[in-house]
Amino acid sequence: MSDAIKTQGMWYRAGPDFELHDVSMSVPTGSVYGFLGPNGAGKTTTIRLLLGLHRADRGDISLLDRDVPKDMPDILQRTAYVPETPHLYPSLTVAEAVRYHGAFYKAWDESWTDELFDRFSLPPNQRISKLSKGESGKLLMLLALAQRPELLVLDEPTEGLDPIVRRDILGTLLDYVSEQGATVLISSHLVHELERICDWVGLMDQGRLISEMPMQQFKNGIKRLRIIDPPGTYDNTPFEVLAREPVNGGVPGEMILVQGWSADMAGYFSGVGASLREVVDLDLEDGFVEMLRAYRAG
Amino acid sequence: MFDRIDPRSPTPLYEQIAGRIRVAIAAGELEGGHHLSSVRQLASTLRVNPATVVQAYRELEREGFVELRHGAGTFVRGVSEQRKKSERVRGAAQLVRGLLAEAARLGVNGEDLRTALDHELGRKVP
Repeated sequence: MSDAIKTQGMWYRAGPDFELHDVSMSVPTGSVYGFLGPNGAGKTTTIRLLLGLHRADRGDISLLDRDVPKDMPDILQRTAYVPETPHLYPSLTVAEAVRYHGAFYKAWDESWTDELFDRFSLPPNQRISKLSKGESGKLLMLLALAQRPELLVLDEPTEGLDPIVRRDILGTLLDYVSEQGATVLISSHLVHELERICDWVGLMDQGRLISEMPMQQFKNGIKRLRIIDPPGTYDNTPFEVLAREPVNGGVPGEMILVQGWSADMAGYFSGVGASLREVVDLDLEDGFVEMLRAYRAG
Repeated sequence: MFDRIDPRSPTPLYEQIAGRIRVAIAAGELEGGHHLSSVRQLASTLRVNPATVVQAYRELEREGFVELRHGAGTFVRGVSEQRKKSERVRGAAQLVRGLLAEAARLGVNGEDLRTALDHELGRKVP
């Protein structure tokens, strides 16, 4: 299967204190890819590089099998972008903004636009400057979907919106994705939301892509294990040990954080004179936090 | 039917969705010929990835619970009483395994559990 987004050794110095460092990411065609990372990790910078809004210092970028920035006009016809901060003219009405936006896209779909107006109950004659936060979030999603994109790049599309609006927006997005088989790259701090809809995750920290894998692999492979009589060092493990720490509350043994775990690996511990007492499942948020902690500790 | 789909659970979402449908079939809530929601509808309602719904339906098809009719949708197949029964037994075993794991964590032994179970069953829960 090909990749809708691919970067190879991408470097970009954004300022004296921040650099994107050798980012190689692959977003498989047809996937919904959750892009995670703390504030300042470089997610928005990466997204802007993908869309040709910055030029990489080094490295190759391709979207929909075309080169960035060389083939940008074609890529932008087929790609929708919802930026972190809206870029709409405040004095236009909603209907005017939609007409203005639609003029740029060959695949713009009028009847789908009408349907989206209904679904989102957007007031056509309201000025952009008078829209509520929820309405402008919906309008941005309408603009993105009405161009019938093959690829959607969404930078915090539900940031600061209430749960009802988030539901409307994500439900409609998924409806479109089922119908079109479009690819989605979505960054969000609402990790549980991503956990629901994404089948791939990429994790970024301090300008580096530190992990990228199918969601299920991420969730299944990262566990916290309670070990009694732990060995001095864990050698030749079939899994990767990310961190070790004592158990809280004076309970014997230690906790280790592992990646690449599967249940049939339990036998390893008896081989080194230890015993595995408990396997703690982590959800995406815990896994994400633990992985960052382990990464930063080196 | 899908109220308690939990994305944070270690059980994959597709398995949770397939499980809910399986239970509904075993309990006779969904009968043979019932037309299940389309992938698009269900993905949008549950706000899950459409691929997740496809995977759930495929699993149910492989197990013989549903039938994918090309272009028409996904339909519940007629399932024998025997099969429904064995599905309920499987569900019960799964519940008990979860209960035992939780009990072990709390230091509750099998004896205590049996007593509690008999007591609760005796209370004629509706």
